Amino acid sequence: MIAEIGAFALILALALSVAQAGLSFAGRMRRSSALAGAGEGAAIAAFLGVAGAFAALMHAFVVSDFSVANVAMNSHSEKPLLYRVAGTWGSHEGSMLLWCLALTGFGAAVAGLGRTLPRGLRALTVGTQGLLGTVFLAYTVFASNPLARVLQPPVEGRSLNPLLQDPALAVHPPFLYAGYVGMSVVFSLAVAALIEGRVDAAWSRWVRPWALAAWSLLTVGITLGSFWAYYELGWGGWWFWDPVENASFMPWLIATALLHSAIVTEKRGALAGWTVFLALAAFTFSMLGAFLVRSGVLTSVHAFAVDPTRGVLLLIILGLTSGSAFALFAWRAPTLGQGGMFAPVSRESALVLNNILLAAATATVLLGTLYPLIREAMSGEAISVGPPYFNLTFTPLMAALLILLPIGPLLAWKRGDAGGAVKRLQIAVAVAVVAAVAVGLLVAPRNTWGALGVALGGWLIAGALAEIAERTRAFRAPWAETRRRLTGLPRGAWGMTLAHLGLGVFVLGAVFEVSWKVEAAEALPVGGALDVGGYHVRLAAVQGVNGPNYDVDRGTVVVTRAGAPVCEVQPERRLYLAGGQTTSEVGICYRGLSHLYIVLGEQRDGGAFLVRAYWNPWASLIFLGPVIMGLGGLVSLSDRRLRLGVGRRRKEPAT
Amino acid sequence: MLLFWAVAGVLAAAAAGLILMRAAGAAGEAAAADPAPVLYKRQLSEIGDLVDRGLMGEAERKGAEAEAARRLLAASDRIEAPWSADPRARAAVLVAVCAAPALALGLYLKLGAAGLQDQPYETRVAAWQGANLDSLTPPQLAAVMRKVTSERPNDPEGLRLLGMVESASDNPIAAVRALRRAAQLAPGNADIWRQLGEAEVVAGGGKMGAGAETAFNRVLALSPGDAGARFYLARGKAEAGRTAEAVADLRGLLAAMPAGDPRRAVVEQEVARIEGRPAGPTADPQQLAMIRGMVASLAAKLEADPDNPDGWVRLVRAYAVLGDTAKRDAAYSKARAKYAGQPAVLQQLDEAARAETMR
Repeated sequence: MIAEIGAFALILALALSVAQAGLSFAGRMRRSSALAGAGEGAAIAAFLGVAGAFAALMHAFVVSDFSVANVAMNSHSEKPLLYRVAGTWGSHEGSMLLWCLALTGFGAAVAGLGRTLPRGLRALTVGTQGLLGTVFLAYTVFASNPLARVLQPPVEGRSLNPLLQDPALAVHPPFLYAGYVGMSVVFSLAVAALIEGRVDAAWSRWVRPWALAAWSLLTVGITLGSFWAYYELGWGGWWFWDPVENASFMPWLIATALLHSAIVTEKRGALAGWTVFLALAAFTFSMLGAFLVRSGVLTSVHAFAVDPTRGVLLLIILGLTSGSAFALFAWRAPTLGQGGMFAPVSRESALVLNNILLAAATATVLLGTLYPLIREAMSGEAISVGPPYFNLTFTPLMAALLILLPIGPLLAWKRGDAGGAVKRLQIAVAVAVVAAVAVGLLVAPRNTWGALGVALGGWLIAGALAEIAERTRAFRAPWAETRRRLTGLPRGAWGMTLAHLGLGVFVLGAVFEVSWKVEAAEALPVGGALDVGGYHVRLAAVQGVNGPNYDVDRGTVVVTRAGAPVCEVQPERRLYLAGGQTTSEVGICYRGLSHLYIVLGEQRDGGAFLVRAYWNPWASLIFLGPVIMGLGGLVSLSDRRLRLGVGRRRKEPAT
Repeated sequence: MLLFWAVAGVLAAAAAGLILMRAAGAAGEAAAADPAPVLYKRQLSEIGDLVDRGLMGEAERKGAEAEAARRLLAASDRIEAPWSADPRARAAVLVAVCAAPALALGLYLKLGAAGLQDQPYETRVAAWQGANLDSLTPPQLAAVMRKVTSERPNDPEGLRLLGMVESASDNPIAAVRALRRAAQLAPGNADIWRQLGEAEVVAGGGKMGAGAETAFNRVLALSPGDAGARFYLARGKAEAGRTAEAVADLRGLLAAMPAGDPRRAVVEQEVARIEGRPAGPTADPQQLAMIRGMVASLAAKLEADPDNPDGWVRLVRAYAVLGDTAKRDAAYSKARAKYAGQPAVLQQLDEAARAETMR
């Protein structure tokens, strides 16, 4: 019965989303508080309905109820509990339900927390959110019902793709989806502002917390996915420019641009049209990602759907929602105000440049992702666009952005002093030069691009710190003064510093890993050894073990350096019983910031195992950097200035 | 059934209640002010704050303050048409509150399966355990045996049975796993070792691997002269290219078999195959009829539950092997259309359709 209650709750949520849209728009048109309030009630009820359906599906997965078709297709009674729970969103249908849960959740959040939004804007935002909910819930209910039943349930389920049975991947989709779908609020706010004809500083301040929250969640989600790819796929890499990775990266790039352009709109009232455009584009890219993953046009572990008609439906949804929003934009944008003027060298100009570079970078990623698909559809010829393309297009744009990044925050609004800013960054310049020279001289083999990349990372980190030092007059004013200024800095400023610092940390790790990674592969008998990056890697033993739903060849690998023991890791090769697929569990030996990464491959004739070992220097920074960035987003989100709460208003003097 | 509708009714009523509550609450706050001027005022006071803390210079201050003040004025000047507590709204909300659950009910009656009970795995296995074992299919028996062996993990006989039913349910990897555990627990039981060896051969795609060889050697050590073990070991030699040895071993096996032993035909056929001679008629009519029956039941099963790529591949291969080209082509094109988006399945289907016809 629980499954059927869930199915009913899902359909009820669809009906409530229709009511949410109708009541909210009618409320705005008639300026009726009661209707708008009813629309908000429907938004909250719709979220509770989807939450009920989600709980019912999770219950079906936990108790292995194979009379639910989705469970039969994607679960197995012997799967560990964590992966039965995670199986809820491990399939196309379940992940659509997660998408709807996030969508209605954000709608309910606007309805419940949006008290400080102007009436009309709030009603239109809730209404737009209701329209989005209607479209996606209708798609889920009619074309991808996760709670569809079968009358003759199979004895056993087909199980979840073993690659997805991993802790990082169990939590990666909720973060990613919360991030993707968080952009829907920004989208709805933009549509509402276009209808109201009101895009001003106040509006951008209302947009910022939602954009920040979505951006931070997306940052964490992408990082988790990348970390998973790093240690689960066993290819020794962490980013493959795979279309699915690009699909998550494009909304991130656009959201990053949006966060920066919204500052200009907030502080100076300028760039209003562009900010609205980005707000619409961010969710459009989220939906494009959803389409790419589900259309069957990609082959990847992420490619759920096998059914092109579902893909076409999603393409229609994408066209309708984004198409009408951009049409509204084309119609209403000319009425938006111009805002304040600014000089070519100013904080505003720096942020505009940031936006141009980020938008261009997004365009290159979009081209690199879609071109092979379009070409294959047109001529049937499969081509692959890989790292060489992105290294030539994306990387130079990003490098330019990163070189300019530390200068921007040191420029004044309206009219800045570029020379002064660079002068204040003397220390950062010095750090970058010293880093490049030191790396060039000390790290073998010589790698000029690597040294330049390390300089860039140093420049970013030192630049972020120099900016804080500048704002607090560190080393120039007495310590008491600096401390007073430090404690007085708004959280938003700390958030920015952390985000920029995190980017520098990431760049350091990425450059070091890419430039100086060493790999070795050999078929080793038990007792055999290979050398990589100065380490001696010996396959001491391989033992057969039974896992919960898989059999394991568990290697014991002993690592020594110049005879001294360093560590012992146990890479695994797993054979999943349902489906008979094999996966590898990488053994990673952490050496400071660097990783010694060991993969146990298949057994060759004669009993030797193929062992691959990688020395990935500073690889930890690749994942630490984005975590710092996400943290920066959350710190910025906690800035009281963003909380336009009712409670605070009481403290203002009455007028 | 009644409980289901009661719960569904409570859900719909709760949603309606929530809508009405928010509508009533919002009607009361009709006079709330536009928050924008408040925001600009705060922005203005923040400028002073920044200057106080020394984070903004005096020069910047003037411009920023002038701009914020201008915006404050503009925002305060904007007069929005008032929001009202329109009495007609109440009727509209009531209509929506009734229409939404009605729409949900209508859709659910069309899409849902009202009253269909949950079927948690544990409950189903318990029911099978209590049922007449003869009425169960091999996968159901395997589910029961998995439960039994998890309760008695050190019972080699239970594990041996589990291995048998796993083999019968087309799950050779699980069969090997169960039989390996059984063999560990009862290393002196030749039957278990023989079954393990056979399961290893099936799991290895019909080839003798190291695991199977070890198992059959154990059988011979425990039960010298065991026909099954000798047969498979000889086949392993043939696979390794030691043809003469293999044939000699098989001939030795034939010599040791009594004249009426039905297994002789299999061994003779194997000798012929190894020597490259055309074998005699492969399947006797009775056997062929049985195979045709199995294929027909697979076809019927796919008709009822068509979403089973492995099943389609097996069906196409079976028709190809039986030489039934018309049915093969029909099943092949049907499956191709069904799995058009899955190159992996298509490839398997192609291979299956090319399978050699049995003589």
